[in-house]
Amino acid sequence: MANRTYEVMYIVDPETPADKLTKLNEAVGKLIEKEGGTVVRMDDGGRRTLAYPINKKTEGFYILFEVEGSGQEIAELERRMRVNDMIIRYITVRVDEDRKKAERRTAKREKRAATRAKFRPTEETAPEAAA
Amino acid sequence: MIDREMDVIGERDIMAGGEEQFGDKAPRRYQRRRPRQVIPDYVDWKDVEFLRQFIPERGKIMPRRISGVSAKDQRRIATAIKRARSMALLPFVWE
Repeated sequence: MANRTYEVMYIVDPETPADKLTKLNEAVGKLIEKEGGTVVRMDDGGRRTLAYPINKKTEGFYILFEVEGSGQEIAELERRMRVNDMIIRYITVRVDEDRKKAERRTAKREKRAATRAKFRPTEETAPEAAA
Repeated sequence: MIDREMDVIGERDIMAGGEEQFGDKAPRRYQRRRPRQVIPDYVDWKDVEFLRQFIPERGKIMPRRISGVSAKDQRRIATAIKRARSMALLPFVWE
């Protein structure tokens, strides 16, 4: 299967002890590897105040994973996250297509700028053309 | 005589024009505005600082007629804001 890139973010209950949190993150990484995906990046956003209370909690640990894989590991991960009591919220976003589009747009703009620069008279040649 | 009649007609025409202009059915025109900020090629839903620009005090997504961004960009920004909201990065409403 084609490899896709996903961003998985989840918020962990602020009352969980630090060692349990690290254990959870390790377990998530292991699960992804076991299901055939690869962890590109793992970002610990740390403790953050929520924009609105969730389950009467105003804070949470934000953890972000960037995963590359077929999508099967995402299905399994989401199933586990739904059951886990420590994880109060999660989101998965497929990013590879949007990123590719963005790259294409950047390339196009750069190309256009290059052609424009070629045809635009430079400061040295401009007075000659006018004369 | 003929000249005067012409004058009267001319005045009426002007009046009629004025009434139309200030009537209830005058179309509301918005000035087209250029966006104040550069929209990156990839709108990241985690970039709260960038998305904040499109959220006035109340917490609603700024309409396109105010922000002046293109329809495509507006769509990308709106989905990014919605994703950020669901992860409590941005509020749904501000009191």
